[in-house]
Amino acid sequence: MDARVSPCYFNHPQRIFLVTVDSELLRLLEQLWWPGCMEFVHFSRATDALEMLFENPPDLLLADQRLPDMTGAQLANLVKAENVYRQLPVILCLDHEDMEYPWDWNEVEVDDFLFRPFMAAEARDRINLTLLRALRALDANPLSKLPGNTSIIQRTQDLVERKEAFALGYVDLDHFKSFNDKYGFSRGDEVLMMTARLIVNTVRDVVRDKRELSFVGHVGGDDFVFIVAEKRAEEVCRRIIAAFDGIVRGFYDQADRKEGGIRSTDRKGNACYFPFMAVSIAVVLNHGGKLKHAGEAATIAAGLKKKAKENPGSSYVIDQRRA
Amino acid sequence: MQEDLQTLVKGQVLAVKDLPTLPGVLDEVTKLVQDPDSSTEQISKAISRDQVLSAKVLKMVNSPVYGFPGRISSIQHALVLLGFNVIRGIIISTSVFDIMQAAMKGLWQHSLGCATACGIVARRAGYEEPEEFAVAGLLHDLGKVVAAVQLPEMLERISETVRTRDISFYQAEKEIMGFGHDRINSWLGRHWRLPANLREAMAWHHKPESAQNYPEITAAVHVSDFLVRAFEFGNAGDDHISYLSPKAVNTLGLRMADLERIMDELAESFLDISELTF
Repeated sequence: MDARVSPCYFNHPQRIFLVTVDSELLRLLEQLWWPGCMEFVHFSRATDALEMLFENPPDLLLADQRLPDMTGAQLANLVKAENVYRQLPVILCLDHEDMEYPWDWNEVEVDDFLFRPFMAAEARDRINLTLLRALRALDANPLSKLPGNTSIIQRTQDLVERKEAFALGYVDLDHFKSFNDKYGFSRGDEVLMMTARLIVNTVRDVVRDKRELSFVGHVGGDDFVFIVAEKRAEEVCRRIIAAFDGIVRGFYDQADRKEGGIRSTDRKGNACYFPFMAVSIAVVLNHGGKLKHAGEAATIAAGLKKKAKENPGSSYVIDQRRA
Repeated sequence: MQEDLQTLVKGQVLAVKDLPTLPGVLDEVTKLVQDPDSSTEQISKAISRDQVLSAKVLKMVNSPVYGFPGRISSIQHALVLLGFNVIRGIIISTSVFDIMQAAMKGLWQHSLGCATACGIVARRAGYEEPEEFAVAGLLHDLGKVVAAVQLPEMLERISETVRTRDISFYQAEKEIMGFGHDRINSWLGRHWRLPANLREAMAWHHKPESAQNYPEITAAVHVSDFLVRAFEFGNAGDDHISYLSPKAVNTLGLRMADLERIMDELAESFLDISELTF
């Protein structure tokens, strides 16, 4: 049986910079993945790799601790010291003698290590795992832990390229700002956490078949995205709205609950009244594969959102334009 | 001395790891959760018949893990936010009573009766969230269940006192422990981060005048407790009819005529739910 992961679980070929004088290692690694899954770029010196690392960072850096011009740990720290490169996963290749004393992993910012003699199977799986872990960690929204923009765009682009029909719902909250202003951001975060749970569980409940299309992402703030099959879109919208309207009251203070909303004054000192928060959902359909790229979905949704917002309460609008 | 006993008992009560429930409801909920065609509404309806499962679900959804402690007081909302996986976990970790004591069955029936009554009272009184009122009614005697599990010797002494002296369960609790299940409710409500309205109703249903922020829901539980006892539906540990605070009836804006209508509706509902197996 072929021990390679078949065919490959990364969306696009993963670029790995391998910095080592050990040419055996390159040969060992290259046979571990299916062709087109991993792309290895080999450097013998750290300084040769540095400029490329900064200019066009790879998906993973695999550095030997023993290099002619510096140690692998130093190379890793050079890269990771900059916040733009912090997310780049680094694996350090060590020899047994390097393990005599415990490392201070606070000082050496790497994500994993391998050591000689290299076992092919271990190397393969540690690299796969490190890449996947980085992918997951990189794009999770820190509040809701839902996938963020990179994943949303990737997922959409992927579907657009495959000309697959899908419905992409943009969810946002009306009057969230006034709630946040009155009660403070930690109460605001509670509402966002609730909304995230609500969307995830509603999509999961409507799409029970795991093989069917379903995705939920958190753009940021009070903006969320879900992707489902076209036929599921309406039910998801209706259920999100029904549940949100029922639940959100509990996030207001008793007095405001009785009033039915928040009374406050705007910057000019005018008395304002904000009803309970509501959800607006704009659904873009990729009917007949009409979308050309992921950004188009966002533009169409922005237009639809205005229409959904015209409605004072919770509402959804589904893109009716056909290709 | 009394203070020491309270601290000790409080620690013991809050250390409760698992609460047993009735086999009937648990079986039903288990079946529903395994059935791919069942809906959240069906499951929440089934869970709403059991004080222990309901309390567990609310405790879970209001835990800091989810990021909105003390916000959710409805079972249906809790299910939407928890999702099926978590519900399955809650069910797996719930045990059933090995030997179903008659007293415990009576308490379950009393609690469900009180939940039903609270829902009816809330609707009659014109409140917008009758479901939350029903949950408060369902949980109003939870302290008795927890005490029975965590302090079985106390329960024995209390029951003995009720039998021999013919006083109410609440009075006996106070004589034996120095405090009643309402105090235990208050500890649990805070410890489990239940929403303030449920906490207040659970803590003050015997003294509705003391409710500070949610007098209506507290008054509703108080009146409902009285009505369920008057109908002799279930058993809360004694055969006494509790005292009815006229002020609580006022708080709800109800008149005698309203109460009569509520009692008619309640009689019908009790007929329906008495068919459920306890």
